[in-house]
Amino acid sequence: MAINQPRVKQRPPLKGSFPLDHEGECKEEIKKFMKCLEQHDSNHGECRHASKAYLQCRMDKNLMTKEEWWKLGYRDNVVDNKQNGC
Amino acid sequence: MRNIQNSNSGQSNKKDTQSVLLYMSSLGIVMLGVAYAGVPLYRIFCQQMGLGGVYVQEINEKKVATMKPVEDRVIKVRFEADASSRLQWNFRPLQAEVNVKPGETALAFFTARNSTDKPVVGISTYNIIPYEAGPYFNKIQCFCFEDQLLNPKEQVDLPVFFYIDPEMADDPSLENVDEILLSYIFYPSKQGFQVPAPNFLQPKNATVT
Repeated sequence: MAINQPRVKQRPPLKGSFPLDHEGECKEEIKKFMKCLEQHDSNHGECRHASKAYLQCRMDKNLMTKEEWWKLGYRDNVVDNKQNGC
Repeated sequence: MRNIQNSNSGQSNKKDTQSVLLYMSSLGIVMLGVAYAGVPLYRIFCQQMGLGGVYVQEINEKKVATMKPVEDRVIKVRFEADASSRLQWNFRPLQAEVNVKPGETALAFFTARNSTDKPVVGISTYNIIPYEAGPYFNKIQCFCFEDQLLNPKEQVDLPVFFYIDPEMADDPSLENVDEILLSYIFYPSKQGFQVPAPNFLQPKNATVT
């Protein structure tokens, strides 16, 4: 998709680029995630379920290739405890 | 005399043939061995050299699936956003920082708005400070190194899905590092333009800002 092929080592992301969410289809999930971060002093560990929900939204709207959660670093015992207020 | 010679040469021909066959089959076995050993050796080589390709991909996918968070080491990742003055985009992070553990995948957001009346294509790169932490910062999915088209007056959210390699906790040179700055820069994408490589992949004698 890039006009130029980079000749220097770029270290591209493992799964490539996220397609742009031009329609803002997952904006709500972003808001919830950001709210969670605010409520937990930016501790991402408390907001993993919100980050998972965002990625789930992307997968549902075909804005991300469906992938098994354990391959994305989400293991059941880590994420299924929903934090109140998140 | 001739008979003796013939029988001698006949025997030595047979021996020669046998030697050659033995030699060829030994060579064959050795080559087969090298071919089998070559695969894992090549993987290690590619990983060390940071060369692209399917072997590095497999190693990294396996890492994401099996790594365990380093519970007693929290790293503050701070975010910075910059856009070249030639690119009229408002580009900023949605969160100033997140606290993450090495070995745990994490999500963060930037947002960009095209303030012009024309569609604009941008391309981004990033830098990591401190430079030494760069090799431990792994992006699973994001928005860098590929053209991103923003329509006139359009605003989009730009996610970064990443993790800090748990091996960072074992690196003595990073013992006292508990903050990492992730700084993205957008440039206008043009034919022939090559976006700079991240700072930690530049040759060491290049100036790093």
